Amino acid sequence: MNPKRVRLLMWKEFLQLRRDPLLLRLMFLMPVMQLVMMGYVVGADVKNLSAAVVDLDRTVTSRRLTDSFASSGYFNITQRPAKEADLRPLLDRSEVKVALVIPEGTEARVSAGGAAPVGIIVDGSDSRIASVGSGYASQLISAFNAQRLAEQGLVLAGPGIDARVRVEYNPSLRAVNSMIPGLIATILILSMATIMSQAVVRERERGTLEQMFVTPISRGDYLVGKLTPYMLIGIAQMSIVAIVGRLWFRVPFNGQIWVVVLGLFLFMLTTVALGLFISLVSHTRQQAQQTVMFIMLPFMVLSGFIFPVASMPSVAQYLTYLIPLRYAIEIMRGTFIEGAGVRELIFQLLALALFSVALLGSAVFSFHKRLSD
Amino acid sequence: MIAAALSRIGAISRKEFIHIRRDPRMLIAVLIVPIVQLLLFSYAISFDVKNVPTVVLDQDMTSASRAYLQTYRSSDFFAVRGSIDELAGVDDAFQRNLAEVAVVVPPGFGRALARGEKPQVAVLVDGTEPNSAQLGQAYAIALNQLYSNEVLVEWADRQGLDTTQLGRLEPRVRTWYNPERKSADFLIPGLMVVIIMIVTVQQTAVTLVRERDLGTQEQMMVSPLRLPELMLAKLLPWTLLAFVDMMVIALVGLGFFQIPLRGSVGFLAVAAAFFVFASLGLGLIISALAPSMESANIIALLVAFLPAFILSGFAFPLESIPRLLQAVSYLFPARYMVIISRGVFLKGAGSAELWPQLALLAGYSILVIVIASVLYGRKAAR
Repeated sequence: MNPKRVRLLMWKEFLQLRRDPLLLRLMFLMPVMQLVMMGYVVGADVKNLSAAVVDLDRTVTSRRLTDSFASSGYFNITQRPAKEADLRPLLDRSEVKVALVIPEGTEARVSAGGAAPVGIIVDGSDSRIASVGSGYASQLISAFNAQRLAEQGLVLAGPGIDARVRVEYNPSLRAVNSMIPGLIATILILSMATIMSQAVVRERERGTLEQMFVTPISRGDYLVGKLTPYMLIGIAQMSIVAIVGRLWFRVPFNGQIWVVVLGLFLFMLTTVALGLFISLVSHTRQQAQQTVMFIMLPFMVLSGFIFPVASMPSVAQYLTYLIPLRYAIEIMRGTFIEGAGVRELIFQLLALALFSVALLGSAVFSFHKRLSD
Repeated sequence: MIAAALSRIGAISRKEFIHIRRDPRMLIAVLIVPIVQLLLFSYAISFDVKNVPTVVLDQDMTSASRAYLQTYRSSDFFAVRGSIDELAGVDDAFQRNLAEVAVVVPPGFGRALARGEKPQVAVLVDGTEPNSAQLGQAYAIALNQLYSNEVLVEWADRQGLDTTQLGRLEPRVRTWYNPERKSADFLIPGLMVVIIMIVTVQQTAVTLVRERDLGTQEQMMVSPLRLPELMLAKLLPWTLLAFVDMMVIALVGLGFFQIPLRGSVGFLAVAAAFFVFASLGLGLIISALAPSMESANIIALLVAFLPAFILSGFAFPLESIPRLLQAVSYLFPARYMVIISRGVFLKGAGSAELWPQLALLAGYSILVIVIASVLYGRKAAR
């Protein structure tokens, strides 16, 4: 390997990048846009669900229940239809997502010591709303019961369970705290796969690759010179995400920095290999782009980045072991949130090491072979 | 005059079709990949949090503690995966992702309960996955309050106290439109929109750039072909392919996943036509603006993939997000189409309920195609 040639190649690559100023700007816009989307949309806690209340009881109890829904912050009561039949058009038009129906005689039934049913209707066309809405509503009703008991004075005398529910690691339950560490790994694979593979395919498309090889530049020089600028861009993108995440979204960091660096280094090798593979199987940039889309979707879906692995069916859970991004995200979240060290993350680190050695080795090998054909 | 225009449009469309046919990988990308995505997504994505892996630590080992822990075992939400012997095991189970919830019953629990006291119980929730943690918290609180209440009623009964004070409200949850909460029903109507948007924007975004790159654009400029004709001709083949895609996805959804189709197919088809035009127009705008294929690809990724996936309301409720982003979400056609598609498939809604979305979509599609033509014209004139 000749350091001077590598340096010149890198310089050429940077010059080429500068020719398309829009591309360069886009590459830095990408992490920012993703931060906004992930931080504010995916990371948003579900609250302020528009809700309707049908109060057929019209008593103190029913009004207090309605108030506890209104003041919970989970629901935003926008409609108060007079009868239950009026709910159908509201939900049909998606004007409300959740409805609370307090039947007539609720107070009477409660005062008689019975269990009074209260209807909670959730819009089942949106799964997140259905599960979160019904969870919140059940919690509010049980809190309402507990408060009512406490007022009766009975609860002080009788037995009960003093449950202390505590959330470990992320007590404020902020979704961004787990979103942004995951995004650091995800942005790397996105830019490596899209930008780097395009750059290599372009040389082949234009025939400049052959020109390169009649010069004294060796294949090793070429690979290092070609890949390094994109790795630097990847590092810059990750740094943007990490810095904005720490300073703007105030994501806490509880782990050791070197574990993060080690994990990301192994993952970067894997993504470089992936980019090379994409450029190997693609003859045109459009094909490369399609291959990227084809690979990226399963990566995004099965990595646990947005959709938790634990709630997937078991077949899909086995598939996630084949996705390197899964391990990278587990390492990032483990270190950021749980403060996990090498001992806890050894499986993930080893898996990434295996992926990077196997993929990078075979990518470089087949790249060489392909070029000499 | 019109006949000549039509024949020119036909010629360019035929040329596009030949391009598509020449590149079998493109056909695979457009026709097979959506189905793979549909299957993958439908199986893998589920927001219905249940069977949350739970471990229990019973330091009491009495019949009372066993009865208490039984309530976790019999709930749908918690799936008790095993017991641990010491407190240190909780951290270990969390960090190795073996459990997300741990219930710790301290020694003396049974005795305290028998004496009429309120023994403490610790429920630890792993906050790494905030969405399931939040639900876990809510369900744990509800479960404990319910159990407390049962214990109290039993006690009051034994003491011969008046139990009329113990009346309570009982939540009866009904899930409309999808009572079994099948995740395919949740996903496929929205997913269809997302997939179509990704495929169409991605493909059209590069078509004009490629003509420019290959120099065939000048050749077309010197031909009698007019700009609107070119736009229309470029759109036609992709409109057809997008419709085929949509039909295939709908058929797989209806036949294989057994999702319901409660509303009118005609209304859905009209809305889908506008939606496809709108996304293709968006692709053409990108194509007119982007200086290179790389940029076109990345803009398409930023404009099609992210907003379709995240700002369409397909997976993430848009009510909780900041107002500014809510406004941004109206700039992408996917948002309207997700509401229409869900309305027609699941709610049996039609033009009476969904006309505002349809009108917006129609206006949107005309607007983007006009903008694309103007932009392209300006670019070509230079």
